[in-house]
Amino acid sequence: MANPHLPTRRRLLTAGAAAAATGALSACGGFSTGGPDDSQSSDDGSLTMITWASDTEAPAFQALADAFREQTGTRVELQVVPYSEVLTAVDTGLRTDSPPDLFRVSYTDVAAYRAQGVLADLPDAADLEPAFLPAFWSAVTDDDGTFGVPHHTDTSMVVLNTAAVASAGLGPLPATVADAWTWEEFADALGRIRPSRADSYAFAANWQNAGAYRWLNFVDQAGGRLLSQDLTSVATDDPGALAAVTFTRDLFRRQLTPQNASARGQAASDLFLNQTVATAFAGDFLLAELDGGGFEYTATFLPRDVNASADLGGNALVAVEASARKEQALEFISFCAQAEQMGAFCAAATVLPTRRDVDPASLRYAVRPDLMPLYVEQATAIREPLVQQVVVPSFSAVNAQLRDRLDEVFLGDDDDATALRRLTDGVASVLTTP
Amino acid sequence: MRRWATSYAMLAPALLLFGVFVLYPLVGAVRISLTDSTGIGRARFVGLANYTAMASDPTFWRAAGNTVLLAAVSVPVSLVLGLGVALLLRDRIPGGGLFRAVFLAPYVISGVVVAMAGRWVFDQNVGIVDRVLAAVGAPQPDWQSDGTAAAVSVVLVLLWARTGLAVVLYLSALQGVDGDVLEAAELDGASPWQRLRDVVWPLLRPTTFFLTVMLVIETFQVFDIVWVMTKGGPAGATELLVTYAYNQGFAARREGYGSAIGVVVFVVVLAATALWWRAQRASEDEL
Repeated sequence: MANPHLPTRRRLLTAGAAAAATGALSACGGFSTGGPDDSQSSDDGSLTMITWASDTEAPAFQALADAFREQTGTRVELQVVPYSEVLTAVDTGLRTDSPPDLFRVSYTDVAAYRAQGVLADLPDAADLEPAFLPAFWSAVTDDDGTFGVPHHTDTSMVVLNTAAVASAGLGPLPATVADAWTWEEFADALGRIRPSRADSYAFAANWQNAGAYRWLNFVDQAGGRLLSQDLTSVATDDPGALAAVTFTRDLFRRQLTPQNASARGQAASDLFLNQTVATAFAGDFLLAELDGGGFEYTATFLPRDVNASADLGGNALVAVEASARKEQALEFISFCAQAEQMGAFCAAATVLPTRRDVDPASLRYAVRPDLMPLYVEQATAIREPLVQQVVVPSFSAVNAQLRDRLDEVFLGDDDDATALRRLTDGVASVLTTP
Repeated sequence: MRRWATSYAMLAPALLLFGVFVLYPLVGAVRISLTDSTGIGRARFVGLANYTAMASDPTFWRAAGNTVLLAAVSVPVSLVLGLGVALLLRDRIPGGGLFRAVFLAPYVISGVVVAMAGRWVFDQNVGIVDRVLAAVGAPQPDWQSDGTAAAVSVVLVLLWARTGLAVVLYLSALQGVDGDVLEAAELDGASPWQRLRDVVWPLLRPTTFFLTVMLVIETFQVFDIVWVMTKGGPAGATELLVTYAYNQGFAARREGYGSAIGVVVFVVVLAATALWWRAQRASEDEL
C-alpha cells in the first residue's frame, strides 16, 4: 500500500514533466545572458560599449573613454562582461532591439556580424586605410565597405621555462623570424629538453577550445590551406595540411606534449604555469599572467617550414548600424584608431598596434618590455592567405569543428590521411548545412 | 461554477509562471529550430533541415549514446547508493549529521564548484587521485585524455553530486514506513533482507519512481560538471546532448541547430517519462 504522505504518481509525473520542460529550455531556449537594459544606449546621450577586458585592458579602455569625453563631450559607458559572454550580450541586445552603440569583437567573429548587416560602414575608411597594416584591414573589410577598425593585434610565440630548458643545450635561441627553428629543429629541441619532474613534458600548443584555429599556423607554415582559394569549400587532400597533421600528431606520438593538451584539453598557458610543460605557445596578452608564475621564462619565434606564419589574434572595434548614435559611435572608434591613442592602449594592455605609423619600439610596455619587440616581429609573419581563411562569416562553426575533430585526430589511431579527411569532412559539413 | 472560478483563480499565478517561463520559451525554441538562425540578424525558415542534418551528424549520435549510457549507469547506482546510505543513516549513529552533510553538500552547492573540485581531484598531471595511486604503485589513469577514464571520472563526480538527493528523499520515505508492519513481518519470521525486499522496498516505490524520473531528467540536463571537467572531450568521449547543443548554439553560432537538439532532448525526456509512468501504472494494476 502506498504511503499517503508521499507524492502520488500523478503528481510526480506532472512535476517531472514540468522539470523536463524547464530543463530542456535551459538547454535550448535561454540563449542569452544579460537583460536588454544592459545593452541599451543611455538616455543622457552617452554611448554604450560592450567589451571584455583583462585587468590591464579595463583601465586602458577607460582612459580612451575619458579622453574622448574630454575632446567631444560625449561620454562612453563601458560595459565589461566576461569574455565567454560578450557575444551573447551583444546578440541579446541586437535581438531585443536594444543594441549597444559599439562593441569589441575578435577578427574571427567580425564577418559573422558583417554578413548579417549588423555593423556600420566606416565613412572615413579611405583616409584611414593607408595607415593600417593590410592583413588587419582586410579582416574588417569586404566588397561593401569597412566595418570597424582593427584596434590591436596579438600573436603567439614560444615561451620557454628558463630553468627547464637550460640543461638541454639548445644554445642561443633564434633571434629573428628569419632564423626561427625549422619544424625539424623545433622537434629536435623539444626532444632534448629533459623533464625536470616525472610528470612534465616538453611542450604544449595553444590550440585548445576557441583557440583551435591556431592549428592553422602549422598548415600555413607548410604552405597549405584549410579552405579553398575562393573560401567556399574545404581544400581537400592538401599536402600542406597533411604535413601539419603529421607533424602535430607526432608531438603526441612522441610524448613531447601531454595528451591532455589536446584541442579540448587544458589551456597551454595553464600547463606552462603549473610547470607541467617546459615550453608552450602563448600570446603576448598572457605575459602579465605568466609573470605571476614565479619562475623565469623567455620567448622565441614560432617554428617555420615553407613559410614563417603566425596566428591572427587581437580585436576590432565596431559600431552598430542600428544604433541611434551611430555617428558618434563611429567617431569614437575612429578616435581609438588614431596613432597616439592606439599606442597608449597597446603599451598599457601588452598588445600590438595595427598601424604602420605606431612604432612598437617607442612604446613603453608595462610588462616584459624585453620580449614585446620579439612579438612585434613575430606579428609581421601573420600572412594574408591565413587571415582570409579565418575571417569568413561561418568561421565560428568552422572553429568549433576544428576543435572537435582535432581532438579526435590528436588522440585517435587513424592514419594521417584518414585523420585529415575526418577533419576536412567535419569542416565541410558546416560549410554546407544550416 | 463558482468553485471552478475559485480553482482557476488559485491556479492562475502558477499557470502564468508556467506560460511565461516554460511554454513561451519552449514554443520559441521550436520556432528557432526551424530556422538557420546564427543568433544575430535575420534567420531563414529552413523547415526540418536542422532535424534531418542531425540524422547524419555522427557527433549528435555519439552525444545521444553517451547521454543514454550516462543515465543507464548513474541513475540505478544513485538509487542504490542513496537507499543504502539512507538505511545506514536512518538510525541515530554517532556522526550521523556529519555524514548527512557530506552527502548533501554537493547537491546544494553550485555544480560548477563540485565540478572544479572534481577536476582538481582527477587531474592527470597534478591531481590527488593519480598521486595517491602513484604512491601505492598502482597504474594512474589519464583522466583527461583517455575516453573511458574521463567518462568514469564524470560519472563518479556526478554520483557524488547526486546521491544527496536520493539520501534525503529515501530518509524521508523511510520515516513513513509503519514500524508495526515491520514488526509483524519480523514476528512472521522474515529475515532483515526479506523485510527490506518484501516490505520496505514496495512501500518506497513512489519515492523510487519520483527519484528515477528526476534523475533521468537531470542526467539529460547535465552540463556544468561535464563542461568544467572535460568540455565533452577527450575526442567526444564525454560529449552529451546538452553540451553539444550549447556548443552548436553558442560556440559554433548555429543557434537553429542547437535549438533543434534542445527540442529533441525535451521530446525524449517527456517520452521516457510517459513510458516509465505507464510501466509503473501497469505494474501497480497487477498488484
